[in-house]
Amino acid sequence: MSEILVHASEIASNLFPLLVMGLVFWLVFRNPVCRIPKRADAERRAEVLLRQMLTEEEYQQLSSQGYLKVPSPTVSNRVYLIPRYRGLVRVHESGKPVMRLCIGPVEPVPDADVVLMHKLMIEGNEEDYLRTANIF
Amino acid sequence: MLTSQGDAVYTWDEEKAAAGDPGAIEAIREAERIIREAQSRGGVAFRVKPGQPAERIDHFDEKAEEIIVIPRLVGG
Repeated sequence: MSEILVHASEIASNLFPLLVMGLVFWLVFRNPVCRIPKRADAERRAEVLLRQMLTEEEYQQLSSQGYLKVPSPTVSNRVYLIPRYRGLVRVHESGKPVMRLCIGPVEPVPDADVVLMHKLMIEGNEEDYLRTANIF
Repeated sequence: MLTSQGDAVYTWDEEKAAAGDPGAIEAIREAERIIREAQSRGGVAFRVKPGQPAERIDHFDEKAEEIIVIPRLVGG
């Protein structure tokens, strides 16, 4: 019986450093390890949703030219150029740049969702969109 | 619903709700509540169909094929 206890205590003493190291590793790396997949997953889902909401032509334009053109629903010669990644939205009228808009969500969201937000606001709520944006 | 974790999806079945299905009715109530809460925080809801311009809505539309709710926007 005593041999068994001695053997068990040897095993426990060998395992203890490993347990401590495992605990330290978990405490130090738990946040990045957890967050990176979540963020990547959010980005992936946002990309799928954006692709679903755009026509093939719009999505190709966004990928190749780096911006999405959204015509104004109220001003016939006005077009909004939404950047693929964060940045100012350029506004052209009759092909000429007339202003740049700085506007974004209060909470951080994936880049693809930001593109979609601009598009939705321009198409469905242009007046509030322009009222909210800082215009340069 | 667009959030920092990516889009959160809620579904409802208007036909089943119309037929009196308690689960479907509850799902519609829940969707209404979620949209109302988002709007109270400055969020905006749009009725969308792929390939068509988005349409802003002030109230939940259970007949809508898809509704996207975005968080409040601010000038930068």
